[in-house]
Amino acid sequence: MSWQKEVDELNRRMELAKAMGGAENVARHHARGKLTARERIEGLADPGSFDEFLGLVGSATYDGATLTAFTPKPTVEGMLTLDGRKAVVLAGDFTVRGGSGGMSGGLGREPRASERALEWRLPFIRLQDGAGGSVRTFEEAGRTYLPDGNSYTQYEVQLLSKVPVASAVLGSVAGIPAVVACLGHFNVMVKEISQIFPGGPPVVKAALGIDITKEELGGDQIHTRISGCVDNLAENEADAFAQIRRFLSYMPLSVDEMPPRAPVTDDPDRADEALLSLMPRNPRQAYNARKLIEHVVDKDSFFEIAPLYGRARITGLARIDGYPVALMANNPRFNGGSTDVAEGNKVMRLISLADTFHLPLISLCDEPGFMVGPNSERMGIERAGARLLTAVCSSRMPWITIVVGRVFGVAGQCHHRPTGMYRRYAWPSASWGSMHISGGVSAAYRREIEAAPDPAAKQAEIEARLNAIASPFRTAEATGQDIIDPRQTRRKLVQFVRDAQRILATQIGVPWIPYMP
Amino acid sequence: MTDLRVLSDIDARVWKIEVAPGDSVAADDVLLILEAMKTEIPVEAPKAGRVKEILVKEEEPVSEGQALLILEV
Repeated sequence: MSWQKEVDELNRRMELAKAMGGAENVARHHARGKLTARERIEGLADPGSFDEFLGLVGSATYDGATLTAFTPKPTVEGMLTLDGRKAVVLAGDFTVRGGSGGMSGGLGREPRASERALEWRLPFIRLQDGAGGSVRTFEEAGRTYLPDGNSYTQYEVQLLSKVPVASAVLGSVAGIPAVVACLGHFNVMVKEISQIFPGGPPVVKAALGIDITKEELGGDQIHTRISGCVDNLAENEADAFAQIRRFLSYMPLSVDEMPPRAPVTDDPDRADEALLSLMPRNPRQAYNARKLIEHVVDKDSFFEIAPLYGRARITGLARIDGYPVALMANNPRFNGGSTDVAEGNKVMRLISLADTFHLPLISLCDEPGFMVGPNSERMGIERAGARLLTAVCSSRMPWITIVVGRVFGVAGQCHHRPTGMYRRYAWPSASWGSMHISGGVSAAYRREIEAAPDPAAKQAEIEARLNAIASPFRTAEATGQDIIDPRQTRRKLVQFVRDAQRILATQIGVPWIPYMP
Repeated sequence: MTDLRVLSDIDARVWKIEVAPGDSVAADDVLLILEAMKTEIPVEAPKAGRVKEILVKEEEPVSEGQALLILEV
C-alpha cells in the first residue's frame, strides 16, 4: 500500500494555501495595483529558488475528519536565493485578514522566519503589507492581551548585529510592522501604494481629531524626505525588489563572513582628466558631487541610500576594484553641504553599517560645518554632533578621507578618526580650519574691528592676512598631510581598499557595538 | 519625442538662464543656474534633448519640486 492518498491530501492543502485569501480577495488586491505575497516572492527570488516553510499553517474547518475549508496564515515565508546567494524571506499577505495577526505558538512550534535567519546566519528580507494587532482579535479570544510582542521581536533585534536585514513596504503598514519596517539596515517603499504609521487615519482622527489621508500621514513624501524612516523610494514593486537585491549584493551573508568581491570590470588605474577641474575655483559655485563619485568608484557601482533625506550628504554603497565599500560625500548643492541632524543620522547609520558588515569607508569631504541657525538648535544639533562624534571615534573599519574642498569645525572633525586604519589625502583645492575665516574673523577680532576708524577695512585687512596663510601646502610642511593630484584619487582608493581587506578580516564576527537602526 | 519636466531640487532663486527655447542640449549641459545660501547651483540636462519651454524667469524664487523648464527628449 502506498501513501498516495496522504500525498494527495498534502497537495490539496498546499493548493489551498496557494489560494491565499481566496479569489475574490486576490482580485481586489490586484485591482489596487498590488502584487500578492507569492507574486512578490517570485519577483524577488532567483527563478524557482523559493523553498517555503510553515506552508501548511492556517485555520481549518472540519466536517468530522474531512477538511472542508482552510484559510492560510497571513504570511508566506521561506528561503530563496538572490544571484545564487541564500536568504530568508517573510512576506505579509494582505489578502488574509488584511495581513493582520500572526500565527499563535505552542509546544512543538516550528521556528519563525526570523529565528531561522538568526540560526542559519542568512540575510532576512521582509515584504510588508498589512497591519499589526487588531481589536477584532480581542473578541475572537474573548479577552485582551498584554503587548508582549518583544517575545518574538527580540529575534529581529538580534538579527541586526548578525545578518543584513532589508524591508520593502508594499502597502499600508501600521502598528508593530510599521516600526519593524525600520528594524533593519535598508528599507524601501513604493510610490503611491506604500505608507507606514503606528496608527492610521482613523486612529489619528480618534486621538487628535485631525482628518488626514494615509498618503499625507505616512506616504513617501513624509518618510523618504522629512522623517528619514524609509531610505529609498521605488517607482514600482519590481524596482523595490531590484533595490533589495542590489543592496544585498554588497553585503556578506552574515557578520561571520567577508562581503563578496565582484568581478573587476573597471581599470584600477583609471585617472579621469575631469577631476583636475572638477572643483570650481570660484567658491560660490557648487560642483556635482555625484559626478565626483562616478569618477572614482568602479563604473556603475554606486548605489545611493536615502537620496532624498539629509540631502547635504550623499551616502551609499559602491565597489572599488570589485570590493564593496561604504561611501559618503558632502553635497555642496544642498545647504552648502553642511551637516544637520538629518545628515548626522545618515552618516551614523552608514558608519554602523560599514562597521557591522566589514566595509571600508570612503569619505569625499567638502565639509563647511554643522548647520547653524535657530532651526538647527531646535532640532538639537549639539547632541546630534555628540552622537556623531561618538560613532566616528568608536568605529573600527578602515577609513579613507579625500579632502576635495573644505574641512571646517566639529563637523569637519567627523571626517577624521585618530585610531585604527585611517588615511587622509587632500586635493590642492582643500581648505581647512577650526572655523571659516570670514565668519571667524568677526568673532575673534571683534574689539580690534570695532575700535578701528574704518571697521570694514580693518576686517578685510585681517581676512587678507589670514587667507595668505591658508594654503594647504603650509599645513603639509608642518603636519605631513599628503596632497595629491586629483586624478590620482582612484588609484589611492584602490590601493587603500586592497590593503583594508587584511584588517577587515581581523574584524569578522559580531560587532563590538550593536547596530542601532 | 516626450516632454521631460526638469524640476528644482531645492528652494532657491533663479540666478541665470543659460539656454533659450529651441536650443539642443546634451546630457549634463547646464540649463540654468539657481542660487541658494550664496551658492550657485547649476541645473543640468538629465538627458540630451531640445529646450521646448522655459517656465521661470531670472530672479524668480522657485520651490522644491517646481518645474523649471520642459525638454523634448
